[in-house]
Amino acid sequence: MKIFDSILLKVFLYGLPIILILAIFSYSCDFRSINSASTYIKLLYNFAGIMFASWMLLSIYLGVRLIFSGTFREKVLTKLAFIKEQDEREVTLTGKAAKTTMLTTIAILIFLFCLSCFQISVYRLPPEQAIDGKSKVISLDLKFEWLERVPEDASKEYIQKQNILAYTGLPISSSAIILGLIIWQIIAYNYSMRRLMK
Amino acid sequence: MAKSTMQLSISNRLHVFRAEHKITQDQLAKEIGVTRATIIAIEGGGYNPSLELAFRLARYFKTDINTIFSAEEEKK
Repeated sequence: MKIFDSILLKVFLYGLPIILILAIFSYSCDFRSINSASTYIKLLYNFAGIMFASWMLLSIYLGVRLIFSGTFREKVLTKLAFIKEQDEREVTLTGKAAKTTMLTTIAILIFLFCLSCFQISVYRLPPEQAIDGKSKVISLDLKFEWLERVPEDASKEYIQKQNILAYTGLPISSSAIILGLIIWQIIAYNYSMRRLMK
Repeated sequence: MAKSTMQLSISNRLHVFRAEHKITQDQLAKEIGVTRATIIAIEGGGYNPSLELAFRLARYFKTDINTIFSAEEEKK
């Protein structure tokens, strides 16, 4: 790992608590009152903004380095995932645990993919729009889009319906899913490794 | 699953050699450069070492690899 990357990584890690403090401070602070604040406060606020912007740039740079640099990735992520390979047996077990983790992750991803594609809605139509005298409708649909779209305005719907149940994909945000998968990978790997080491 | 024409059962006499040389698992592990858990796993038959490690063990006990490790065809 290059010394430059090592320094940047330390800056990123040590900057993390400062960024958290800044985030809490900015959350509790009223932005409109900044304009009327003293020059000192304005300077402080600008400095905090520059720091946050630099930290964001740094995190993007480190993210890209993690993707493209094998040595940097191995140095950083082995520590993050608590991977220890003291001898050849542990290297073999790491491989087995990684395989188990990868397969369970694929299984979870397939399940989540299904949940995100399926759309189910149960609704009641007004009597004048009833189909064959039946006003209760179950609608099943499949949705797959490469890009996230802004949901259309509900008022544009031409059917006047009373929703009983509406499931339109996963209710979890993409950031939460990604974070969940990162945590899952680390936990699943360490759990498999512990079982194999016994 | 990988297909194989013959299944081999590998056994070892590592604990015998260790007892003869009056050396503990921990000492042997340090000499060979592995963890004690690996020595325990090899002796218990839970782990078959690589050729390199098998040769290292044989060299340490100043013997032939076949005297420590033996392979027999598994009966089905």
